[in-house]
Amino acid sequence: MTHTDKRLGGECDLKDLKHLIYFEKLLLEANNELVQRAKAEGDVCVAYTCENTPEPLLNLSGAFSARLRAPRTGSMEVATYYLTSFLCEYSRALLERAIEGGYSFADCIITPDGCSMMNRCVENMELLKTMGRDNPGFFWEYMEIPMKGDDNGLNLYVLQCKNHILKPLAEHYGVDVSDAAIRRAVAEHNRVCELIRAIGDYRKGPRPAITGYEFHILTLATYVCPKRLIIDRLEETLEELKTREPLAEDAYRARVVVVGSEVDDLDFIKLVEDSGAYVCADRFCYGSLPGRDPIPLTEDEDALTQICRRYMDRGGCPRYMDMPKMTGRRAYVAALAKEYGADGIIYEQMKFCDPWAYEKMLGAHILREDFGYPVLAVDRPYAIASSGQMRTRVQAFVESIEIKKLQKEGDANG
Amino acid sequence: MAKEVGKDRFGDFYIDGGKVRKRREWRGVADTLYDYSRWLGIMMTLGKFVMKPRNVKAMFRYRWMANYLAVPMMVDRHTQGLRGEYLRICHEEQDLVINDVAQLLDNLFRGDRRIGNDTEFSKKVVLVDENEMTAVMMGFPTLKCLSRETPSTYVSVLLNQHAAEHYIDVAQEFGLAGDVCPMPEAEAGVSIDDDAPVLGACAIQCNTTCDGSLLGNGVISRRLELEDGIPVFQLAAPLRHREDDVQEYAAQEIRNAIAFIEKHTGETWDWKAYFECARRVNYATRCRQEWLEMNRTPYPQVFGSNLALYTETNYMAICGRIPAFERADRRISKLAQQAYAKKKMAAKEYRHRAIIWGVQSHYYMDFLVWLLNCWGIVPLTDMLSMVSTRELVEEDTPENRETAIYDMAWLTENMIMRNRTHGGYKVLLDELWEFTEQFNADMVILWEHMSCKALTGMHGMFEERARELGVNLVWVTHDLFDPRIISRQGVRDQINNYMRTVMREEPLDPSLEVLHDEESW
Repeated sequence: MTHTDKRLGGECDLKDLKHLIYFEKLLLEANNELVQRAKAEGDVCVAYTCENTPEPLLNLSGAFSARLRAPRTGSMEVATYYLTSFLCEYSRALLERAIEGGYSFADCIITPDGCSMMNRCVENMELLKTMGRDNPGFFWEYMEIPMKGDDNGLNLYVLQCKNHILKPLAEHYGVDVSDAAIRRAVAEHNRVCELIRAIGDYRKGPRPAITGYEFHILTLATYVCPKRLIIDRLEETLEELKTREPLAEDAYRARVVVVGSEVDDLDFIKLVEDSGAYVCADRFCYGSLPGRDPIPLTEDEDALTQICRRYMDRGGCPRYMDMPKMTGRRAYVAALAKEYGADGIIYEQMKFCDPWAYEKMLGAHILREDFGYPVLAVDRPYAIASSGQMRTRVQAFVESIEIKKLQKEGDANG
Repeated sequence: MAKEVGKDRFGDFYIDGGKVRKRREWRGVADTLYDYSRWLGIMMTLGKFVMKPRNVKAMFRYRWMANYLAVPMMVDRHTQGLRGEYLRICHEEQDLVINDVAQLLDNLFRGDRRIGNDTEFSKKVVLVDENEMTAVMMGFPTLKCLSRETPSTYVSVLLNQHAAEHYIDVAQEFGLAGDVCPMPEAEAGVSIDDDAPVLGACAIQCNTTCDGSLLGNGVISRRLELEDGIPVFQLAAPLRHREDDVQEYAAQEIRNAIAFIEKHTGETWDWKAYFECARRVNYATRCRQEWLEMNRTPYPQVFGSNLALYTETNYMAICGRIPAFERADRRISKLAQQAYAKKKMAAKEYRHRAIIWGVQSHYYMDFLVWLLNCWGIVPLTDMLSMVSTRELVEEDTPENRETAIYDMAWLTENMIMRNRTHGGYKVLLDELWEFTEQFNADMVILWEHMSCKALTGMHGMFEERARELGVNLVWVTHDLFDPRIISRQGVRDQINNYMRTVMREEPLDPSLEVLHDEESW
C-alpha cells in the first residue's frame, strides 16, 4: 500500500512502513502494551526522566527502563498549582500524569539533578506519594551527575551510578549488577542503537527513504519500551527500508537539523515537515543524536566506568559548563549539519527551560555567524498540536532558505 | 519630627514620583549627629573614589556606574526609623560593604585594559562570579580576587531599582528567552554589551545558584576566554551538597581550581594565610549564630535586610580574607548585646514574628524595613542568612590541610541561596518549618522570585505544609531585578492585602501603605 504524502510540501509516494502504526500506538500511552507485557513477565520497570541517566544500567537482566512521557496531555492545572506556571510544561505534564496515577506501573524512579525543574517535578511526585503505594520495594533515587567532562566528573559519575542505580536495584529487587550483567545489557542497548543508526542513515542524501516524523516515532519507541521487545520490529523496519522507494528530490524544500531541549511530542516534527522542511537529523533530548550512539566496550576496564565515560563524553546537555563541552556542542551541530546535508538549523527550546534558553541563544548566533548556517530559534510548548504561529515561523524559515539558495545560484551564474 | 521610635509618619517623607525623599530623618540630637557623620563618611569614600582620574573615566565608559550616585540614598533607605544601637549596627554593616565595593571598583578600573591598564596589577587579579564563594582565594593573600558582576549588576540594582533593565533588554534582544532569572540574564547582558572591565590573569566561574547562573556563565566565559584571552576555570559545585558521596568530587574541584590559579598567576598556595582566614570565618560564624540566638527571643537585635546583605558579603565575598570585617563583627556583637540587655526594640510594636524565606527582591532590598515600620512584622531571619555553621579547622597540620580542602568545598557547595534552593527539598521545605518553630515565628513571608524555578517548584508544597502547621504564609511575588514586572508597590500590596483581608489588621504607620516610588532610586 502506498500513500501520497504532502507533508514535505511536494508530491511524494512512500510505501507505508509495516510497523509504523504499531509504534505510533505504543506512544499513545506511557503504560504501553510492551511495558505491560514485560511487567507481566516479572521484569522490574525502572522509570527515569533525564538523558544523563545511563540507560544500560536500567536494563540489566530482570529490569527494563521506561523514560517518562505524558502523551495526550490536556489540562495541567493541578501540577501548575504545585509547580507554578513558570516551570516547563514537560515537568508539569509529568507531575500531572503522576498525580492522575499514570505511572503506577513503575517500580522505582531514578533521576539526576539534571535541571532544577525535573528535580522539583520528581520531588513533588515523591512528596505527593504518587507512586509505589502498593509496592514496598519502590524507591526514589536522586543522582548527582558531572557538570564537566573530566576525570573528576567520571569518578563522580561512576560512584553515583553505583550508589543510586546499581545498589538499590540489587537491594530492592535482587537485580544482578555484576560486570557480566552490565556487559549483556550494553550488548542489547548497542543492538538497538545500531538499528536506529542504520535506519537513521536513510535520512542522508538528497532522496531519503524515511521521513523525519517516521524516524522520530521509531526512536521515541526505543526510549519508552523494553528494548528486547522491539528489536525484531526494528530489524524488520530496517530490512524494509533497504527496498523502499525513496522520496523524490523535490519532495521537500529544505533539509534541517532540529536541535534543542526535550521533544517527545510527535506533532512537533510533523509540523516542521508539514511546513516543507525535511528533518534530516535529530539532535535533541529524546533524539537519536547522540542518544543512540552505541557504547563500545573493551575488556581492559570495567563496563560501568566505560559506560559513564561514554555518557559524559558524548553528553550534549547544556548543563555541561566547561569550555571544551560548550564549544564542542556547537561544533557537533555543525558536523551533523554537514554530514546530513542540512540547509538550515532549527534551535528549539521548551518554554521556561533555562539551560536551553541560553544554549539556543548562543548556538543560534554561533551556528549562523561562525559556521554560516541559516538558523531559526523558537520556543515551544510541550504539546504543540497544530500551532499556527509555529507553522508560520517554519514556513518563513524555509522560504528564507530558498531565497538564499536562489541568491547563491544567481551569484554563481554572474 | 520625632526622637522616639515609631512616632514619625514615614510615608510623608516621600515625594510622589521623585527619586529621593523630601528630607533626612530627625532622630534626636545624638543619633542625628551620628547618622550625619556617617553620611559624611560615605561622601568622603565617594569623594576619594572620584578624585582618581581613571575612576572618572570609568564613570563615562560604563553605563552602570551612574547608579553609584545613589549610594547615600541606599543607606538612608535601610536606616529608616532606626535609633541607638540599631542605627549603629546598620551603619557598621552598610558602611563597610560600601567601602568594600568602592575598593573593588577602584581595583577593577586600575587593572582594566580600557581604563587604568595597569598590566602588572592585572596579572595579580583573579576574576570571580558575583554570587561565588571565594574560599579558593583564602590561601592567595597576594592576589586580588575581584568580581565584575558585583558592581555592574548586583550592587547596581540595590542602589537603583531600574539599573538592570537595560541589560535585561540587551540579553533578550540578543535572543535570550524572557522567562529566565533576570540576574544571570542581566549579567549576560553586560557581557553582550561589552560593558564589563577587562582585566585579570584568569577567572574562576562557578555554578553558583541555579541553572540560569550556570548557563549565563557560558556567555561571559565565551567573551572572556575566546575574545579577551583570559583563561577561565569552571568550578563545579555539587548540587546535592548534603550527600556524603559528592564531597570527594567537590574537594577535587577545589584542588583543581587552586592548581589552575597557581598556574596562571605564578603564585603558590599559602597555608598560613588560609588558616588565618579560616579563623576569621569561624569568628564570623560564631557571631552570626549569637545574633540568631538573640533573634529567637522577644528582643531580636541584628535582623532584616542588613543582616542578609552583610552576611552575603561577609560569608561569601570576603570569606575571612579582610580583617576589617572581623572588627565589624566584634562591634556589631557588642552593640547587639548592649541593646539586648536593655530590651530595646526597633519599632514601637512587634505584632508578628516572621521568617523571611525564598529569594529576596533586589530592587526592593529595604522591603523588610518597610515591613517592620508599616505592619510591625519583625523579620527574624531570612533564607540568605541561614548558611553553613560548620567550624573550619584552624590549626596548620598535615591532616588539617587535607580537611581544609573539604572545608573549602563545603563552603563552596553551601553558597548563599543555592544552599537552600539546591540539595533536595529538605533544605528548602522541611528546614523552613524547623526554623519557624525554633524562632517562635507565627508568620512566613515567602519571597516568590517568579523565574527561580527551584523555588517556585515547591510552591504547592509550601502552601500545604503551612496549612497543616497553622502558620500564616504570605506570598510576595517579584522578579528579582526587574521592577517592570512587579513594582515595589506591587510587592507592598501583597502584604497589605493579606494583612487587611486575612489578618484583619490596621497598619502601624498607614502613611507607608501606598507609596509612589516607581521612579525612585
